[in-house]
Amino acid sequence: MSIEATPKGSMGVAMKRKEDPRFLQGKGNYVDDLSFPGMLHMAIVRSPYPHAEIVNIDGSAALKVPGVKAVITGKDLEAAGLGWLPTFHGYDKQMVLAIGKVLFQYQEVAAVFAESRAAAADGAEAVEVEYKPLPVVADPFVAKQDEVLLRPDREAKTNHIYHWEVGDKDKTAQALGAAEKVIKQRIWFPRCHPAPLEPCGCVAQFDTMGRLTFHVTSQAPHVYRTAITIVTGIPEDKIRVISPDIGGGFGNKVPVYPGYVCAIVGALKLGRPVKWIESRTENLTSTGFARDYHMDVEIGARADGTVTALRVSTTADHGAFDAAADPTKYPAGMFGVVTGSYTFPVAHAEVDAYFTNKAPGGIAYRCSFRVTEASYAIERGMDILADELGMDPVELRRKNFVRKDQFPYASALGFTYDSGDYHRTLDVALEKIGYQALLKEQAEKRAKGELMGIGFSTFTEVVGAGPSKHFDILGIKMFDSAEIRIHPTGSGIVRAGTKSQGQGHETTWAQIVAEELGLDPQNIMVEEGDTDTAPYGLGTYASRSTPVAGAAIAMAARRIRERARKVAAHLMEVGEGDVEWKDYKFQVKGVPAKSVTMKEVAFAAYTNPGQNEPGLEATQYYDPPNMTFPHGAYVAVVDVDRETGEVKVRRFLAVDDCGTVINPLIVEGQIHGGLTEGFAIAFMQEIQYDKDGNNLNTNFTDYLVPTSLESPKWETANTVTPSPHHPIGAKGVGESPNVGSPAAFVNAVIDALSPFGVRHIDMPITRDKVWRAIRDSDPAKG
Amino acid sequence: MRVSIKVNGVAHERDVEPRTLLVYFLREHCGLTGTHVGCDTSSCGCCVVVLDGDTAVKSCTMFAAQADGREVSTVEGLAQGGALHPLQQAFWDNHGLQCGFCTPGMLMTSYALLKHKPNPSETEVREELAGNLCRCTGYNNIVKAVRQAAETLQAAPVQK
Amino acid sequence: MNLQYSGEEIIAADKAAVWKAITDPEWVGRCIPEVVDVTVRDATHFDAVAKVGVGPVRGNFKFRFELVPGASGDRMDMKISGGGFGSAVDLTAGADVSDAGGGQTKLSWSGQAVARGPVAAVGGRVLDAQAQKLISQTFANVRERLSRR
Repeated sequence: MSIEATPKGSMGVAMKRKEDPRFLQGKGNYVDDLSFPGMLHMAIVRSPYPHAEIVNIDGSAALKVPGVKAVITGKDLEAAGLGWLPTFHGYDKQMVLAIGKVLFQYQEVAAVFAESRAAAADGAEAVEVEYKPLPVVADPFVAKQDEVLLRPDREAKTNHIYHWEVGDKDKTAQALGAAEKVIKQRIWFPRCHPAPLEPCGCVAQFDTMGRLTFHVTSQAPHVYRTAITIVTGIPEDKIRVISPDIGGGFGNKVPVYPGYVCAIVGALKLGRPVKWIESRTENLTSTGFARDYHMDVEIGARADGTVTALRVSTTADHGAFDAAADPTKYPAGMFGVVTGSYTFPVAHAEVDAYFTNKAPGGIAYRCSFRVTEASYAIERGMDILADELGMDPVELRRKNFVRKDQFPYASALGFTYDSGDYHRTLDVALEKIGYQALLKEQAEKRAKGELMGIGFSTFTEVVGAGPSKHFDILGIKMFDSAEIRIHPTGSGIVRAGTKSQGQGHETTWAQIVAEELGLDPQNIMVEEGDTDTAPYGLGTYASRSTPVAGAAIAMAARRIRERARKVAAHLMEVGEGDVEWKDYKFQVKGVPAKSVTMKEVAFAAYTNPGQNEPGLEATQYYDPPNMTFPHGAYVAVVDVDRETGEVKVRRFLAVDDCGTVINPLIVEGQIHGGLTEGFAIAFMQEIQYDKDGNNLNTNFTDYLVPTSLESPKWETANTVTPSPHHPIGAKGVGESPNVGSPAAFVNAVIDALSPFGVRHIDMPITRDKVWRAIRDSDPAKG
Repeated sequence: MRVSIKVNGVAHERDVEPRTLLVYFLREHCGLTGTHVGCDTSSCGCCVVVLDGDTAVKSCTMFAAQADGREVSTVEGLAQGGALHPLQQAFWDNHGLQCGFCTPGMLMTSYALLKHKPNPSETEVREELAGNLCRCTGYNNIVKAVRQAAETLQAAPVQK
Repeated sequence: MNLQYSGEEIIAADKAAVWKAITDPEWVGRCIPEVVDVTVRDATHFDAVAKVGVGPVRGNFKFRFELVPGASGDRMDMKISGGGFGSAVDLTAGADVSDAGGGQTKLSWSGQAVARGPVAAVGGRVLDAQAQKLISQTFANVRERLSRR
């Protein structure tokens, strides 16, 4: 049972969530729950071909379907100057509806508007599109050869999108050349998909004055408003974007999708509200996927295990458009964190990205901008190194950890890690999991021919984008914001530029304000997602809400406290300098008996402010001076059936350090959810394309989401190393479990298979792959 | 065609297209949007409602016409007289929900389970919920919540 | 997804009768299994709507047929493209027509299918069976309808 937070101390309290009663009673307000008078429904015609010329689109039969009002195509949009929309990465654009040719299977080709959901679907089925198939490139290594040019619309006549690199190439090469031990491994992080349970969708409507209200499943409503202005030319003051309740996002609801533009065009053209809700198949086949990084990892080390150099060379598959929603200057996101928790004196990382005939995307699924890929690469690499050196992977890690006294630590690839205590977090993990006993058990089992594996991942994340000198989306700096109003009777409202999709902001934001101001969190209302009322913010993804908006909220609350101090001084008839904030109230210094509560001050601010400005509100925009660096030590224990290849995750312990914890209930929930996603990625999920470019995982019977039956029981613990630069010391946690866990699962399986000399298996680790790895291994070892 | 379905004790009689699915009957004809749609293949369970008091069904896999003359219970009918049902309370207490999208289906599947098995083991709960997907919680807290609700209901049964 | 098929039918009718039938678009259209509707566009082109079921994907598929009769009357080729439910299927099929003696005619046919979209995602085996059925059943129906005469 959880404890209720009180006005005296809301920080660190496992307060039950304030948003839950509405969800529990079916009173959530998701986009598809909205209905407006005269509302039309939209359906999208999609291409079955991965690469084809469009010879003709004939909508005449569709227009004869009862209820169908209009059909629009790429030509119509192009004529209106709406043919393309900029991707969030900023250096590419994406067709709204296919113009001339289609570039991936399920690409949007036409939109049909009708009186009902069913009529729209019937209409879409009746649109006849004639295609002329073109050769398909479904592999980035084939794309690299430039034999088939996929994007003739671009200036550069190549499938190569960009080359990005960081670190010292020459010194890294030298160090690898001089190393006593070098390991090299191709590691593929396959294409997967976040698949939030609520698909994407929107309702667009114009009022009689031509103002657009756009309800949409968006993790970043303000950025959407600006993007809509950029695409459509509608002035930003004539647009109101509202993200209502969002049924999970995980990065899938960051990009602006073609369907949104079509719905806006339809609403404008037909003068009626238009709703578009995608199907699960549309979600899995056309919206932001994740990963698809082919990484060549090389680690150099001395014979004693001290690492001396890291080189990672990556081939990235971005699909048909470069729609990876990365900060402008960082096309490979935060991949530079690939040195992980270890003191590499030199390192070099490079990424080359290519177009293929696959769906666009790449940044999603709790990844903190490619941190998941980076973390997986280094944590797998360290295990391979330990194996080749014959060292315990725990000892190898411990030997190379950044030490507590080295923080702030400047990594070889340019990050300044804020704080951490890697040794302590690992120690807590070893003790809690009972490492020595597990090793003993494993030795006994191996003697009997049973396969048991123990896998570690001691990752460091980088989140909280970000310092605006480095990070922007479409040129907009990645700050965030908060506005707080305290009402006369001591309750209040906080608004932020973030948008919860299940993270519990309505609770945690209230706790921060309550803690800072000594008020009751139950009476602090949180509002997000409405661009008419919330201050401009970059939204919720990449674990940035608490590091950025959470800081803005704490600082806005402190501004209120400073204003309130003046009123308190007036009330207590002392000088402002004689008033101190102590024990959640204003006291006269040295006279604890003489005090006023924030509630009393709030009332006075409206009824008796003295010479002070009336009212009690504050706005804060926060540009973080640095990123935050959460870390963790994860341990997976697995049993592998040598006959069937089946892997059973027997135990999994996650020790996380996300700095100051605002609400342990919510933090634990985030970790449970992220671990389950990591489990899914490690063992079940892949968006596969066959060589002809057919997407083979188009619904939940082919793209698997773990059920309650497969999902392991999670053990959690935490250490607390506050961030020195964050106002309340918090670092963010949402993505850590997805960033950290895949390597722990895979390392455990490979450890279990070590009697067979298996070195690496790419995810998802299906029983088929394990069985084949055992079968193909050296029989002498088994 | 004309169908009459009793939803949460209230009769709803409507003219619908024969192909109307029960879930859209509830959402669009009765205005009960607590029942959600999360997939096209009857995989996710966001749309689970209870038929005739004790049978969990996926309302995306049933025509409204098939429910003609029958009783349907949805998440909106769980709380009585302003008090949360013990299942709702237990999900709240145990942080058994995050984005809330799967929650109505989870609650209704659990409701039917507890009708048949008032004191399910952890394995039985996990087996019964295997048709309801959740992307946020990892199920640990959901399983805990269902077992807490079972205890509460056994101690003080709710007439529903 | 690329699939290939071949087979043979012996028809109890002479070559001229067979040739006459298989160059008639309306007649060929009616040989498609579970055909719902045939619309002849000209002497060598017709549209056909047929019921197709591949795993969970079921419903009417619309196909465009082009008949390409060989000048010598020994070879008939067909190009078929169509689809439904967001899927596309492109088929080519051809048959050598020869006298099998005793008033019988032999059709040696082969075909290949390329499927894209949801039907391709359903997976090889199911799709394979369906495409095979579509092609082989069409030729089998040719035999049956001619032999019945």
